[in-house]
Amino acid sequence: MIIQRISRFISNFENLMPIFAAACAVLAGIAILSLPFVYTEDQLYPKNIDRESPLDPYDRGGPPFTQADIVLQYPENSPTAGFVTAYLTPFSWALANTTLHTGTTIVGHPGGILDEILYNTRGLDTVVETTILFIAFAIASYIFRKGSP
Amino acid sequence: MIGAGGSPLRYLEFGDIVIYFSPYTLALFLLALVFTVLVIASKPERQLDIAFGADAFTTKDIGLSEMRFRRFMAIACGLASMGAMVTGDVFDFCLFTSLVGICNVGIVAAVKSRHVQGAAFQYGLVALAGTVPLFGGAAIVAATTGTLSLIELSSTLLPAVPLVVKGFLVLGVMGEGMAPFYAAKAEMFRAPGAPYVIMCSLSSLLIFLRVIEVVLQM
Repeated sequence: MIIQRISRFISNFENLMPIFAAACAVLAGIAILSLPFVYTEDQLYPKNIDRESPLDPYDRGGPPFTQADIVLQYPENSPTAGFVTAYLTPFSWALANTTLHTGTTIVGHPGGILDEILYNTRGLDTVVETTILFIAFAIASYIFRKGSP
Repeated sequence: MIGAGGSPLRYLEFGDIVIYFSPYTLALFLLALVFTVLVIASKPERQLDIAFGADAFTTKDIGLSEMRFRRFMAIACGLASMGAMVTGDVFDFCLFTSLVGICNVGIVAAVKSRHVQGAAFQYGLVALAGTVPLFGGAAIVAATTGTLSLIELSSTLLPAVPLVVKGFLVLGVMGEGMAPFYAAKAEMFRAPGAPYVIMCSLSSLLIFLRVIEVVLQM
């Protein structure tokens, strides 16, 4: 009897979201009870923020124009790692030497600092992320144009 | 390394993301590949409605552009499933899983049936909400072990991933269309146009099979 009632409730897809929310809430409750998780000190992608650096939010360490020392999972797969962050246009480099505000404009400069992790060592993630966006745009544009000739 | 799915036969390196083919993931990959080829090659079905009490039936006619779009989405879904089957990175796996969820909505997005559209909307909501435990789980995996690579995670040197975090990953994948959150997907199958709609079912089945391997390996 009770199984019949449960299966009738589950079979209505209007109830899916509440069931999923309840499952998430139960699991989150268990997670909170099992806190604290022990975090490892030896992180793969460490990040230190140096507020004094002129490249502030984008500074990943290492002087420009030379290879920076970057922690990688498989260094042998990314021989050029460390050079992406090091690259600044001469104008950006001059700006960084004179002001403290290159960090706010640096992504607007051609050849400015690209994120080492996203564009070098974890490039496949970036590809898949943009694919998700493109697929979503394709669906949205198809539905939008459906009625028109 | 000898993971839950056997020792890898071949590696493909993309920087820190290393794709590996173990006997288990290779079998799942081939299944997704074969079905994607079938989707590309086959002609869609034409659904028949039999009229009761009379010797008559009607054929549901679907426009060419709708079929083309649905085939495109089914192929994209197949490619996403293939990627999820062989990827050797927890975060990458989560990305492919959410891509499969979006493609599943896309396969039935063009159907002119209110019922199917309602089911697809509810499924989309659950898939959207499912990304929270999915990516949250991946983030805690990175925090507790310091790595995201499944090859590194299978070694015993690293600290163990908490059980509840594995639960987060499994719940996130279940939100993409496994029982008991399957009702909306079953209603989506009412849309005409097999084999494209079957891709919805197969992709989530494959992803669930893969997440078992991922969780066992951690």
